[in-house]
Amino acid sequence: MEHEKDEPNEDPTGDTSEDVDIDEFDDEETSRDLVVPGEILSEDTKNFLPGRGTIFNKDRSKIISLNIGLKQVKRNYINVIPLRGFYTPRPGDKIIALVTDKNPVKYICDINSKDNGVLKPKNTVKRGKPRGYRGGASDDQDNSTEKYEIGDILIVKVLSADRLNKPELTTVGKYLGKRRDGLVITIDPPKVPRVIGRSGSMIKMLKNLTKSNIFVTQNGRIWLKGDDLAHERLLIDAIRKIEKEAHTVGLTDRMSEYIENEKKIRGMN
Amino acid sequence: MPLIIKDEYPEKLFREDGKRLDGRDKYELRPIKMEVGVLENADGSAYIEWGNNKIYAAVYGPREVHPHHLAKPDRGILRVFYRMATFSVFERKRPAPGRREKEVSMVITDCLEPVLFLELYPGTAFEVFINVMDADGGTRCACTTVAALALADAGVPMRSLVTAVAVGKIDGELITDLSGIEDKAGEADLPCAMTWFNEELSLLQFDGSMDLDEFSKCLSLAKDAISKIYEIQLDALKKKYIEIQEEYSGGEKKE
Repeated sequence: MEHEKDEPNEDPTGDTSEDVDIDEFDDEETSRDLVVPGEILSEDTKNFLPGRGTIFNKDRSKIISLNIGLKQVKRNYINVIPLRGFYTPRPGDKIIALVTDKNPVKYICDINSKDNGVLKPKNTVKRGKPRGYRGGASDDQDNSTEKYEIGDILIVKVLSADRLNKPELTTVGKYLGKRRDGLVITIDPPKVPRVIGRSGSMIKMLKNLTKSNIFVTQNGRIWLKGDDLAHERLLIDAIRKIEKEAHTVGLTDRMSEYIENEKKIRGMN
Repeated sequence: MPLIIKDEYPEKLFREDGKRLDGRDKYELRPIKMEVGVLENADGSAYIEWGNNKIYAAVYGPREVHPHHLAKPDRGILRVFYRMATFSVFERKRPAPGRREKEVSMVITDCLEPVLFLELYPGTAFEVFINVMDADGGTRCACTTVAALALADAGVPMRSLVTAVAVGKIDGELITDLSGIEDKAGEADLPCAMTWFNEELSLLQFDGSMDLDEFSKCLSLAKDAISKIYEIQLDALKKKYIEIQEEYSGGEKKE
């Protein structure tokens, strides 16, 4: 390809920790109390208000959980951090999309959400190349927009998303665009903050110990590329373990122990 | 000469020692075992063993509605598919959904809808697939219970769980949790389901005859039984996570 230089940076460092509610799981105030839908969290409605994942009952005398998750008290709000759930796109999220269909006006992308994402050519303008007249619809070989094929894996940003309309995506921005190598695995979207860890601690640890590149996105898809297959497999096993034990305490330390152990067992340097 | 087995019910549904045919007391439930997360490919799943009933439930969603004309532009829909396996009853059950399957599916849908926030997911559907592997009376109650568990396991926001039980009357006595033979030969059958958000009834069907005093007594019996089943439901839902938590708490578990 003649425009390799426009590809996203293959070594994005400190990439994912910018746009995530990192503290969610590791917060000091997050108790390890497991709650289920309908469970009464507090009857003290004068001092507390329902936050995320909670609701008043009909006569506003109790605060009730809506999800299966962990109870968290933050200032005067009571929240429930879900352990299971689905991804709802929000503007500004960086996500991994799979092109499932294309036509002259848009690409349809699977984004692991209830709606397919829409990627319009005006949002795929190449970096450093101003868009031509009328959306760059010229016959030139050197078009000003990126061209994708069905089956391509893209890292995209959500431009707009709401309840009623399909989310609109863009590939213009840092680290965004098509990925030509690496692997993509999917985890439960609510557990994404745990894979990143507090201010990116978990992901830094994973990167250092397995010498891999990781890009964790909000829709639960993780792009990863290691030096060799053994490191990639170790990384995938580690991520699966994090997903399974997301609601336990002291996970980062335990994971680094686990990886060191596994390295010895598997005979890696 | 083919062997013909008639539907014959015993004359008395109580034994001489005052217990029921399967050895239970009047207000005793059958043994119940529940488990969540049993199916790998579903978004959420649950399994229940309630006496001889064995039922699987799987939840998918929110996802696109097929056929598309069923989609509502202002809210999501809940679709429940109640099916019985061909081998679940004594005579072979024809696999095509009949009148009974459609009725039970509709009843469970109406029962679960009030606890979901369907208005948050316009144009989509939550789909609950319930398969009865072995049936022995009270499957609609067991299905409601297990469907609520599967929805909670899938992470669908819910106001509360839903729990159901059947109460009824056999040989002039009120009983809790009817088995298959008591359901068919008894005098009255009253399946009811409760949501724990404001403790309201979400399902109430009635078949048979009973006077008003008995009816109100039945409802209080049902409430007692439902609170017992609710405890089992909560345990089943939490067990999956608490086991892992305890394994790694290393003695520093917070109280």
